[in-house]
Amino acid sequence: MSKPSYVYVTYIETSAETLWRALTDGDFTERYWFGNRIASDWKQGAPYGFTKDGNPMVVGQVITFDPVRRLAYSWDNRKPEAAGEATSRVTFDLEPRGNVVKLTVTHDELGEDGKTLRDISGGWPMVLSNLKSLLETGHVIEIAAPSCSAKDAA
Amino acid sequence: MPKPEFVYVTYIETTPEKLWEALTDSAFTRRYWFDTEVRSDWKVGSPVALVMSGTTTDTGEILEVDPLRRLSYTFKHEVDDNMRNERPTKVVFTLKAYGDLVKLTVTHEGFTQGSKLLDGISKGWPAILSGLKSLLETGKAPTIPPAALGIEGFE
Repeated sequence: MSKPSYVYVTYIETSAETLWRALTDGDFTERYWFGNRIASDWKQGAPYGFTKDGNPMVVGQVITFDPVRRLAYSWDNRKPEAAGEATSRVTFDLEPRGNVVKLTVTHDELGEDGKTLRDISGGWPMVLSNLKSLLETGHVIEIAAPSCSAKDAA
Repeated sequence: MPKPEFVYVTYIETTPEKLWEALTDSAFTRRYWFDTEVRSDWKVGSPVALVMSGTTTDTGEILEVDPLRRLSYTFKHEVDDNMRNERPTKVVFTLKAYGDLVKLTVTHEGFTQGSKLLDGISKGWPAILSGLKSLLETGKAPTIPPAALGIEGFE
């Protein structure tokens, strides 16, 4: 049996270059990713991490760095509530189509107990809805993370 | 084996009233749903038809109408020779307001294992709902080339 995976597709009116920057620039991610800043020197095999208020939230390694087409990194959630979760993998595929970019986010190699799948199934729609709004309107929508957590995502 | 269904969640800066109208007003649906009019009188038991540029692509029956909160109908494809023989499925829209935004959950279920229709709608909904979100937030829907969806025969 294959391990659980999660896929989310969204179409954003932007350029592949801007979307790529939004995924790899800490100032940018902080705005739509609930205050999480991403940092890395963006080379294949290099470490990367998300920090929030200076604390590590997610860490891992850059698996694929193919500007402005494909970005993949391993995903080791450092939040206390995620202790014991297996390391998973996140892949972003960017396909420019006319005035829009088709963004496919695949989060796979998830733990077989399904817990990580449930958690991230709640999180990705919020992050990617915010990202789309930010790129199309210039501002994020104020999703109050605690009030719409994974448990009511279904 | 995971259940053969499709679930998509999106958060839209709008009101439940506007989102409800966007889902049920055929002039509105045409603007983001690839020129598809969703036609119904929105009463439980009434027919619903999806009419794309004059061609009826899908039909169904209204199952639930709980204005501003929940809408569901059966969904049977009518055009593609393989998919039109699949059994009717079910679409559910759930709207939940959070401050200035609405969480929209679309669940499409009732597919047989290996359904070709499931593959098609899994490619269709993200594009339709991306267009819907853009239209409500920016006032216009972006042009998504149909070929971008990767659905055989929809180009």
